[in-house]
Amino acid sequence: MSARKNPMDTKLQENPEKRMFRIPDLRQGIKRIMVSEYFVLYLSILWFIVMLPVIPNIASSRNLNNIFDFIWPLLAVCVGQTLVLLIAGIDLSQISVIGMTSVIGALFMSNRIDPNVLSDSPLWGTVISENGGIMANSMWAVPVGILMMLLVGSLIGLINGYFIAKLKMPPFMVTLVTQLFVYNLAIFLTKSNNIIGIPKAFTEIGKGKIGFIPVAMIITIVLCVLSQLLLSKTVLGKWIYAVGSNVKASVVSGVPRDGVIMFVYAFSGFCAAFASVIYSGRLEMGRPTLGQTLLMDIVGATIIGGTSMFGGKGKVLWTFFGVLFFVLLTNVLNLFNLDTFTINIVKGLIILLAALFDVIRTKIQANDTKVEKAGA
Amino acid sequence: MKRYLALAVALIMVVTIFAGCGSTKAPDKAAESKSETTAAKTDAKKEITIAFLFQDLETEFWVAGHKAITETLKAKGIKVIERNANEDANKQLEQAKDVIAQKVDGIIIIPQDGESAVAISKVCNEAGVPIGVFNRPPSNKDAKSLVVVANNEKIAEQAVGYMAEEAKKLNKKMKPLIMVGDLGDPNAVGRKKGFYNVIEKNPDLFEKPIEVPTKWDAPTALANLKSAMQANPNVDFIFTSSDFLYPQIKSVLEPMGKWKKIGEPGHVMLAGLDGDSTAGRLMDEGYVDATGVQDLYYEAQALLDAMLDAISKGDKTPNQWIDDPGFALTQANMKDRRLDMWGNKLRKDKGEIK
Repeated sequence: MSARKNPMDTKLQENPEKRMFRIPDLRQGIKRIMVSEYFVLYLSILWFIVMLPVIPNIASSRNLNNIFDFIWPLLAVCVGQTLVLLIAGIDLSQISVIGMTSVIGALFMSNRIDPNVLSDSPLWGTVISENGGIMANSMWAVPVGILMMLLVGSLIGLINGYFIAKLKMPPFMVTLVTQLFVYNLAIFLTKSNNIIGIPKAFTEIGKGKIGFIPVAMIITIVLCVLSQLLLSKTVLGKWIYAVGSNVKASVVSGVPRDGVIMFVYAFSGFCAAFASVIYSGRLEMGRPTLGQTLLMDIVGATIIGGTSMFGGKGKVLWTFFGVLFFVLLTNVLNLFNLDTFTINIVKGLIILLAALFDVIRTKIQANDTKVEKAGA
Repeated sequence: MKRYLALAVALIMVVTIFAGCGSTKAPDKAAESKSETTAAKTDAKKEITIAFLFQDLETEFWVAGHKAITETLKAKGIKVIERNANEDANKQLEQAKDVIAQKVDGIIIIPQDGESAVAISKVCNEAGVPIGVFNRPPSNKDAKSLVVVANNEKIAEQAVGYMAEEAKKLNKKMKPLIMVGDLGDPNAVGRKKGFYNVIEKNPDLFEKPIEVPTKWDAPTALANLKSAMQANPNVDFIFTSSDFLYPQIKSVLEPMGKWKKIGEPGHVMLAGLDGDSTAGRLMDEGYVDATGVQDLYYEAQALLDAMLDAISKGDKTPNQWIDDPGFALTQANMKDRRLDMWGNKLRKDKGEIK
């Protein structure tokens, strides 16, 4: 087999003098950067550096603190979405899982509930009362509350996964219905009211620091590392990529497709509940409407990171880069004092560009693969 | 190699950031003490920046409140940074942190609810930025803030009390209905209490009231009111916790043949609270019996005065509750007090009334 000749090399051979002044192939360079898995990180750094002279305040300690404060809960929920996108799915129910688990946690942990606010709740007198939630004032309230939040989140995800895997229903439809159902159930249980009286031990997860490192950062990084290890070092991780790359081939190869799908959606619900722990801690309340405006941020940041909507391609590290860029972008738009509508329009355009970019990258990589095969 | 280089760059970035995070408080405190010592000298020259964070502008009350606050601030030469949270409490918390990073001199918020007002006030207290809460008070006093709020219970009691006195003239037992606001908002709780104070004072006049939850949301209110009226067509006494729901009330009562003027057979007694232009118009036309009025312009001015006073004194955590006594505009006092209602002032500005 003959190797493919580079047209540029042929020209240079024809004119050896030009070899001395060979300039780097710009197209190849751009292509290499575009397909680089660190592209979004480079973009974030570039964005930060370019904006620095325009908005010096961007580098103030408080602003940097804010940026990294906003990243962690969003990153946690995006990690779950990453795995779902890896199997070419979508989870629209995450935002409602955040609200529902926020309520569930508060129902267990709250130490005082205002009867004026919640006496109309169907749970009043049985699960909650003026004295608080199920485990009010117990030393186990916080761990049990968090455990229940994570369990409920995982269970909702598992139900999504069951319908998608076993009944072969479209993920978009299943998770959309779950989103509506779970959201309205949370509203029904609380009559749309917030549950306060959350113990300080819980709020510290959202707001507290160990030394100068935020607790939210520590736990989210642990989640990310474990998730990445799951993807890169375990058989389950390989199955996830396999299902996303080519579902038929994966089934033929013996991958338990249904089990993988159910696990991924359960994990997505788990991650949403995980984020809910941080968000609820920050706001010091169980809030049924918590997370309702986050869908664009979750899907957008994950896609910007480079996780493909077509499945089979993505990493937790990329999602971190995507969230970093997304939060940085929002922060800059805020520092420009733009109104909310303009900010949302710009964010929407960036997400659209990221989705377009995903298509271009996929094409480039497919072409490269073809060239390599032809050259082999 | 490239991989390690990229990770190194990322690591440097994170370390830089944490170096910043670690020193967040120290320089701020230093800056604070420095600014306090020079405050008297520089305050007169320094441009004051106030951030105005609002949950949304979905009713005429909030639109008018927004206009009153921003125009007053700008007229005083104060730079205003505006943020709309689109009814997302978490977003409003993040917006508060954002504007604190921009070193604003003060923050005025219309919070999503009383609980989020507390959470945001705590963040402002920690950062040493004065915060003023407009019209929707914190649900508890865990944090320090300037709060201006109408005495909702008293105003509601006055409006419903007038209706009760008028109802007594009919010599029959009334079937009352209250459209309840979002009970996470202390305003809604106060209005509900005011309504029940009157009901409980007149046990012979009223049957057991029907409660219609609205969540301060027009479609929710419409759906729930429709169901309630179908189940209880004998309702003849309605109090809406906010005037912005009159269009929904009309669209339910009209097909039932119950949208009648005062004095006409089948008139359903109506009262509300806020004092918007729709209520003013309906009172002029004779459909509404009374409306509780919040003095919007007084509230905006009083909050701004308190905020500017705190800034000039260098008070980082002012704590003051400013009460708007309000009043009830009724068919009986319309001649004297019609133009004291902010909704009617808006109508006058538009040339709709004289």
